[in-house]
Amino acid sequence: MRSGTVANVGYSTLLFLHVLGAFTLVAAVGMFVAMLLAVRRQPDTLVAQRMLPTALVLWAVGGLSALVFGIWLAIHVSQYSLTDGWILGAIVLWVIASAIGGRISAGYKNLGDGSLAQSQALVTHGLLVVSVLLLLLDMIYKPGAG
Amino acid sequence: MMVLAIRPDSWNFPLLLHVGGAMLLVASITVAIVAFVQSWREADPDSSARLFRFGALTMFFAALPAFIVMRGAAQWIVSKEHLENSNVGWIGIGFGTSDLSGLILIITLILTGIALRRSRRGGGLGKLAKVGGALPLVLMVLYLVAIWAMTTKPS
Repeated sequence: MRSGTVANVGYSTLLFLHVLGAFTLVAAVGMFVAMLLAVRRQPDTLVAQRMLPTALVLWAVGGLSALVFGIWLAIHVSQYSLTDGWILGAIVLWVIASAIGGRISAGYKNLGDGSLAQSQALVTHGLLVVSVLLLLLDMIYKPGAG
Repeated sequence: MMVLAIRPDSWNFPLLLHVGGAMLLVASITVAIVAFVQSWREADPDSSARLFRFGALTMFFAALPAFIVMRGAAQWIVSKEHLENSNVGWIGIGFGTSDLSGLILIITLILTGIALRRSRRGGGLGKLAKVGGALPLVLMVLYLVAIWAMTTKPS
C-alpha cells in the first residue's frame, strides 16, 4: 500500500512536469508565430524584438523539460518502453522540432539588421507548427500502444 | 509498479481538442502577457500603445477562440466519460478554474477594448489598460492550477 502510494505520487508529479514542459514548448511556438505575424504586419520589428528574449527562454526550458520528464515517465511506467514506436516517434519529432526551432531562433536574433527572410520564415514556422501538432497527436493517440 | 488504464479510442478526439485548445489558450495568454508587460516598461507612448494593441488583439483573436474550443471539448469528454454528475475533486477544480477564467477573460476583453478605443482617440492607455493587462496574469495562475489538477487528478 505504501509503495503503491509513493509510485502514484511519482507518476503524477512526472506527468505534471512533462505536460507543463509541453505547454511551455507550445507557448514558445505561439510566441514565434506571433512574432512572425507582427513582423509581417508592421514595417518595423518592435513587437518581435520585445518578445524574443522570453520566447527563447520558454523554447529552451519547455523543450528540455518535456523531453527529460517524458523519457523519465517512459522508464517509470512499466507498460511503456523507450523502444515503443510512439515513444521513438515522439523523440524523432522532438529532434526535428528542435532543429527547426533552433533555425527560427537564429533568424530572430538577426532581426536588427533586417535579414529575416520572410518567405523562408513562413515555411520554417509552418514546419514547426506541424511537427509540434504531430507530437501532440502522437501523445494523445499513442499509435501501437497496448 | 505503475499500472495504467487504457482509455477507449473514442475519447481521443475530444481529448485532443481539449488539450490542444488548452495549449493554444496558454500560448496566446503568454503572448499577451509579454506584450502587456513590455508595454508598461516602454517609455515611448507610441511604442507602448502598439505593444498594448498587439496584446489586446491576441486576447481577442487567439485566447477567446482557444478558450471556447478548450471548454467545449471539456464538456464533450466529460459526457463521453459519463462524469457529468461526478463529485471527483479534479473535475470540480477543472470546471471551477475554467468558468472563473472565462469570466476574467471576458472582463479582460472589455477593459482592454475600452483602453484601445481611448488610446486611438489620443487619450493614452490609462489605468484601464493597466488593470486589463494585469488580468491575464491571474488567468495564467488559474491555468497552472488546472494543469496540475488535470495531470495529478487529486480526489
